[in-house]
Amino acid sequence: MLHAKIIDIKKEKIEISKSEQFISSSKFGASIIFTGTVRDVNENKKVTGITYDSHDDLVIKSFEEIYKESDDKLLIKDKAVFIEHVKGYVGLGEISILIAVACPHRAEAYDLSRYIIEEIKKRSPIWKKEHYENAESEWLKGNPVQTT
Amino acid sequence: MKIKLELFGASRELSNKDYLEFNIDEKSSIKELRKKLISFVDDKFKGNDNFKKIIETSAFCSEDNNIVSDNYKIIKDKKIGIIPPIGGG
Repeated sequence: MLHAKIIDIKKEKIEISKSEQFISSSKFGASIIFTGTVRDVNENKKVTGITYDSHDDLVIKSFEEIYKESDDKLLIKDKAVFIEHVKGYVGLGEISILIAVACPHRAEAYDLSRYIIEEIKKRSPIWKKEHYENAESEWLKGNPVQTT
Repeated sequence: MKIKLELFGASRELSNKDYLEFNIDEKSSIKELRKKLISFVDDKFKGNDNFKKIIETSAFCSEDNNIVSDNYKIIKDKKIGIIPPIGGG
């Protein structure tokens, strides 16, 4: 069971309560909610906020692929996964990504949560433009996408 | 034929719009589109090295949302997306 969505911050926001509702089930004994938030310093620069950009269709496709892969790679078939990522401007301390997972046992839940965030970092077409105290801003370098 | 190149991430600095438009030959490859983009940077941005590096390290995606290789021929896809190095989350 998967929920995957890009949240346009101008129209709506990420709500943890929605993820709790989505993954809640008596068949799952372990749940983890991971949130990524905007940090105030990066590489010794004082950050005031981040603008996220996204190729929405490709991002959703990557979330679906990551979810399906976990069946075989992690051997976790019984699970609920809720992933939302923001696009637009996000201020300090605000949530940019939420990954909620629920599994029968805790070891699976920890593995799955970690797997999803690491794969998103590597594969999902999302970009960050950091804004700094001196009113400057820059796109972060990132990692090239592999082509076949 | 005319194609629309959708801009994302750092490549957005190449235009005030969300896209660039280019005239290319039928069955041009992504490799040729990349060269066209480099020429565009030479003309419009005095060969800005940062912009060139973004183009050289970017992937491209087809209208049906697949990442495509440099040999991919642009036949009927009128819309191509440029995918600069990623780093979200």
